[in-house]
Amino acid sequence: MTQGLFLGVDVGSVSTNIVLADSDGNVIEKLYLRTNGRPIKAIINGMTAIKSVLGENARIIGTGTTGSGRRLADAIIGADVVKNEITAHAAAACHVVPNVRTIIEIGGQDSKLILMNGGVVCDFSMNTVCAAGTGSFLDRQASRLEIPIEELGGYALRSKSPVRIAGRCAVFAESDMISKQQAGHSNEDIIAGLCDALVRNYMATLAKGKELCPPILFQGGVAANVGIRTAFEKALNKKIVIPQHYDVMGAYGAALLARDEITVSCRPTAFNGFEALKREFSSESLSCDGCANMCEVVRITADGKCIAHWGDRCGKWGAAVQERETGKKEALRQ
Amino acid sequence: MVITFPPMGNVSLAARAFFEAVQIPYVSPQKANKQMLQAGAALSPDEICLPFKVFMGSFADSIKAGADTVLLTGSCGPCRFGEYCELQPKLLKKNGFNAEMLVIDAPKAIGRKELCRRIRSILETSPVSGASKFKAFRQALHILSLADGLNEKAREAAGYEKNRGESKRLLEACFKQLDSVRLPDDMQAILLRYHEKIDFIRKDINKKPIRIALIGEIYSMIEPFANLFIEDLLMEYGIVSKRLITPSWWIKDLAEKPFGVHSAQIMKAAKPHLPYNAGGHAKESLGFAQLCKNDGFDGAIQIYPLGCMPEIVAKAVLPSVQKEHGFPVLTLIIDEMTGEAGYLTRIEAFIDMLAEKRKREARTA
Repeated sequence: MTQGLFLGVDVGSVSTNIVLADSDGNVIEKLYLRTNGRPIKAIINGMTAIKSVLGENARIIGTGTTGSGRRLADAIIGADVVKNEITAHAAAACHVVPNVRTIIEIGGQDSKLILMNGGVVCDFSMNTVCAAGTGSFLDRQASRLEIPIEELGGYALRSKSPVRIAGRCAVFAESDMISKQQAGHSNEDIIAGLCDALVRNYMATLAKGKELCPPILFQGGVAANVGIRTAFEKALNKKIVIPQHYDVMGAYGAALLARDEITVSCRPTAFNGFEALKREFSSESLSCDGCANMCEVVRITADGKCIAHWGDRCGKWGAAVQERETGKKEALRQ
Repeated sequence: MVITFPPMGNVSLAARAFFEAVQIPYVSPQKANKQMLQAGAALSPDEICLPFKVFMGSFADSIKAGADTVLLTGSCGPCRFGEYCELQPKLLKKNGFNAEMLVIDAPKAIGRKELCRRIRSILETSPVSGASKFKAFRQALHILSLADGLNEKAREAAGYEKNRGESKRLLEACFKQLDSVRLPDDMQAILLRYHEKIDFIRKDINKKPIRIALIGEIYSMIEPFANLFIEDLLMEYGIVSKRLITPSWWIKDLAEKPFGVHSAQIMKAAKPHLPYNAGGHAKESLGFAQLCKNDGFDGAIQIYPLGCMPEIVAKAVLPSVQKEHGFPVLTLIIDEMTGEAGYLTRIEAFIDMLAEKRKREARTA
């Protein structure tokens, strides 16, 4: 008997994650890849890796994409569900801990706070103007101190007296760290101070005026950092749970949303199949001069043929592709 | 005298109709767009709010196209809009744009005599009779209210339409046609025709669309570019959106203000949360959010340009409205550095949240 699996793809700024889940929502396979500024390549590499681990009897019967590159991923692999990160993260967290009330998610370039009640998102906030509270900032500081990012948390835990770092702005935080180094503080104390600053920034920008009830889930790549987790526990004075698949919760959520969509609609999947990934993909942007809006339109091509457009307000570029798509689907049906 | 005015959604349409009818030469501003904003930002102080920058960009374009008089409504209210008419003429002059700025301000601020003098200085260049001017003014107001009304109808119809996207297409087609005509009578005819078309959209009245109230700063409300076309976006999702602040509402409000009867219901709803005048439309934002909640709306989206003082006050008070009435509010802050992707994510997540909330309420009921 063939096993039907659901695929979730989360294309983020720093990492591209892929999860395969079965119909009960268990994670069968997960992948965490660095996007390295080349999302198309990351998606294709990830999908190739997934194909190689996919058993002979397994078949993909539903796909979901999320993350800032969700539309790109949709264009390349063909998705049943294209969802924003907040909904995807909430879906995954809810599956893991059904009575979850608070989700702290810190990714590469953004941080989120999602409040839940009875399995439904009831409030959320996302950082707007500053990257000082995010993973890529930690990444940069780790490489500046020549410490592998995985060990950063351990350093923070060994600190005896954390220094106070100005955490309002990434640039000023860095200058502050440099001056603290020059003043002779140890790396351990500075990193612990950095973790505290990041948490302080998060609490001030996202959690102000909000009640963070337990159970609290901490997910996203930064959850791997025990220093940050400890700083959060200290600041909130509550226990923080880190789910097993904390690093791929967005992709996991997308897979679960795809499962729900397919189960309800009973449709065949929109997944293009692995063969379609062998095409040569490229993207280009063009400035539409059709009207005063001057939309920046993105065009995705596969083997020189345009497969998707977005960014246009009037929908004239998107419609051109859609027509062809419907034509294709009609042809398939016949 | 060649007049120009800032791009302000439907107001520009009415202004065009008026100057056309009274035969005063004018330069119609282009629709607000990114290039205009960029050019305006280069001429403006960095920390000033978004409308200032859009206006500057537009004025610069229009002056290049031959305008020599810039018409602006003034406000000595406690927000930075009051600075526009002081700063902008100086900045324009400094950057080599020679134009006079005519500010139509409240009689309270400049005196009735001065106001009359300013209005007369524009109108006396018109060759038509006083009666025709009056007629032109009335017709311009009528066009404004027709355009605002059409907008409102279309945003409502978007939630019920049987053919997805029909009301949005009609609205777009209407405004495209309006751009191509000059005569006020033609504008009026087009608007009336599209009113009829919107009325006859095939609707599914059993639908229960999500309803979202739009609140916030006035320019973000009346100029689609300043809210990143949020109404069009909501239409695409089949969501009903409604806003209080339209140019026609503003004029009605202004006329009622001296008698203290303006927006009585809204002021009453806002009072327990914000008893003071914070400037701008902070009280209106709060009051309207509550009225919409009572009206069965699912949530509200507050929009304002970065640094808008009155709306910052409203934002600080909104959580208490949110908690007390269980009414979700999403706040979007817009400036020229804004990345659109982040907005889409937030709006999509907000819509998902409202839909899920509804499902849950249906389950428990």
